[in-house]
Amino acid sequence: MINEILWSYIYASVIAIIAITIYGMASRPHITKKLIMLSILSDTACLMAVLIGVHSGTIKPPVFPGISFTNHPQVGTAELDIFSYEAVDPIPQVLVVTAIVIGLAVLLFLSYIAILLYQKYGTLDVRLIELRREWDSV
Amino acid sequence: MSKSKARENRDITKEIIVAIFASLLIIVFASAILFSGAIAIPPQPTNRPLASFYLRTTYNWEFKWLWSSSPEVVTSILWDHRGIDTVYETGVFFFAIIGALMLIRNYKGGSKYKAVGMSIIARSVTKITLVSIPVIALSIALHGHLTPGGGFQGGSVFAVSTLLVIIALGLGFFIERGWTKHRLLGLHTLGIMIIGFIALSLPIIGFFRSYCGYIMQNQWKPWSPLGLGYVFNLFGIEILYSGSLLFLNLAGFLAVSAGLTLAFIALALPKEDIRKGGGLDD
Repeated sequence: MINEILWSYIYASVIAIIAITIYGMASRPHITKKLIMLSILSDTACLMAVLIGVHSGTIKPPVFPGISFTNHPQVGTAELDIFSYEAVDPIPQVLVVTAIVIGLAVLLFLSYIAILLYQKYGTLDVRLIELRREWDSV
Repeated sequence: MSKSKARENRDITKEIIVAIFASLLIIVFASAILFSGAIAIPPQPTNRPLASFYLRTTYNWEFKWLWSSSPEVVTSILWDHRGIDTVYETGVFFFAIIGALMLIRNYKGGSKYKAVGMSIIARSVTKITLVSIPVIALSIALHGHLTPGGGFQGGSVFAVSTLLVIIALGLGFFIERGWTKHRLLGLHTLGIMIIGFIALSLPIIGFFRSYCGYIMQNQWKPWSPLGLGYVFNLFGIEILYSGSLLFLNLAGFLAVSAGLTLAFIALALPKEDIRKGGGLDD
């Protein structure tokens, strides 16, 4: 029972964070705050993907233990059965590994655009940028 | 007056639409969790069948036609089973870096910056730690097929040392040592070209020897007998290198570390260079 309540709480907070970040990204007028919201959103999506891979019981990383460059014995089926029973789901982790680097690259690209906007208009508030564009066009 | 009033009305409408969208999102996610069974609460007692399949076959010496000869299941899926997807994601990273560089396209670079940075205490401590961070990053990339980690993670760790240098030692540290835009971009492109070369190596060899070879293939299959091998005999010691995984991890490390270093250096450029580079002063 306590387990169910805890897991429901975790998923509810993750979904709440996702909804709040989408609301903040759309409604906050400052571009830096939009970028902060975007990074929190991508990290929360990664957290949710990793949470889906968790199973109850003994949890170990999805790396077969005791293998090194020089020590690589042949592994039997019984050991692999125990390993596949205990290790966590590797597939969400694979998705997350690339999502983090791609998210970082996209965030860098958006930061460059923000820097150029600041150099051009002197502010990062989208309302002021809109006003100054109107003044420029007049 | 009427214009500002209209703008206020539009703002309120936008807020309401966004709030409705966010609450709809909550409802959709919650119903997906509660009713469709996509996510079990509490989590399921054992792994899903697909996860068990990957965990059983990646280091299974008895089914060598399904394995990828590496005990690290995440790296195996990343560069072997799902390799083409990762190649395309590397391409996305490349185009993000290129797009960022487009915004400072007129910047020529120069040697007018001097390594000033912070106080002598911060600079000395940074110089001591600066040796260890790239070594650990290279170790993470080199052991990518044996322990958690790999090329992407190693490159990200390497980029931390770049940030540290920019803050503590100043941008001139790189410029005095000749780390220009073109050299770093060349290293980044070299890493991606190595990945592409490894991806295409077995189809090309197979074409000339009239065998079947696949893009991003690692180990041999019964219908495709070419493979990149998995152990390497160095003076009588057999070293596990897991086929293409070691080389792909090192190439990914080169690409990610050079690309992120370039991006951070470009982000730290002074105001005049960014204005001039972005074409704002024309």
